[in-house]
Amino acid sequence: MQNEMPGFFAGKLNELVSWGRSHSLWPFPYGTACCAIEFMSTESARYDLSRMGSEYVRFTPRQADVLAVSGTITFKQAPILKRIYEQMAEPKWVISMGACACSGGFYDCYCTVPGIDCIIPVDIYIGGCPSRPEAFFDAMIELQEKIKNESYMQERKKKLKEQWENLKWKA
Amino acid sequence: MESLIQKFNAVPDKLAVDKCVIIAAEKLIEAVKFLKENSFDVLIDIVGIDYLGMENHNAPRFAVIYCLKSTKNMERLRLKVQIDEGETISTLSEIYPIADWQEREVWDLFGIVFENHRNLKRLLNHVEFEGHPLRKDYPAKKRQWLTENDKMQDQLEARLETLGYKVVSH
Ligand code: SF4
Repeated sequence: MQNEMPGFFAGKLNELVSWGRSHSLWPFPYGTACCAIEFMSTESARYDLSRMGSEYVRFTPRQADVLAVSGTITFKQAPILKRIYEQMAEPKWVISMGACACSGGFYDCYCTVPGIDCIIPVDIYIGGCPSRPEAFFDAMIELQEKIKNESYMQERKKKLKEQWENLKWKA
Repeated sequence: MESLIQKFNAVPDKLAVDKCVIIAAEKLIEAVKFLKENSFDVLIDIVGIDYLGMENHNAPRFAVIYCLKSTKNMERLRLKVQIDEGETISTLSEIYPIADWQEREVWDLFGIVFENHRNLKRLLNHVEFEGHPLRKDYPAKKRQWLTENDKMQDQLEARLETLGYKVVSH
């Protein structure tokens, strides 16, 4: 009985944290081209992304959970995008919106990054040129599902283990 | 447009649907000065064209197009200058200051040299980019390893000095 108690509690905490995370995803709009216009309409009153819990669009990576990359990324932009991704606090997710962000789109040329997954990890891809707001909603729901299946305690365990290994290695 | 044709031996462009004249490179500066005095007060854009590989094209390889607009008469006019590989065009940045950046862009993408330009360097691409990407003979699939961005220190210092600041180097 005594042994089972922590397990029971941890399971519930897990669900609580995942639920909380999945319904308060604050996006960072990294809009560089025409897809960003569609992202704006997703955000604004007609489609209203706040219904999904993405209430605020945050313009600082420190306060954002989801990096919504919408638009063409050129090689000159790439270091900036990577830095913004690195500045975001854990846990963080990335949505790649539109053909350009996913694969470079029709810009098979000297200046366009052939897909942002060359530089940062991507959780959800949305196709389309540009993607419809409905598609963005679909991606958001999928991301929420994904987050609900993530385990906060497992992550923590992994981190603690890493830290412990580090400490052991130093000592 | 008629006075341009008479004064500077310009030829109306047959390919164009709007007002466009072809003019010789030597006459460009005079013609633009003349147009600026005659109410064409905005230089909207400078465009380069590479005609390499175009069928039935028996004119020089490149063309530079100057799009001008008159805000008084709401009129637009384009001047087209045809030049070959290795030839140069004189800069318009004395007449229209905006031409400074527009000419840098054309040089960056097409490699067309503008004479007497005070700072002809890359505008859009990385400084160490090799070649001129919008030329038709630039391989479309070619990728380059680029790491350095333009520092723009020189422009910043020049601008500060025109504003009356003194730049102290260390
Ligand atoms: S995918 Fe289409 S709409 Fe989106 S940024 Fe690229 S070109 Fe624009």
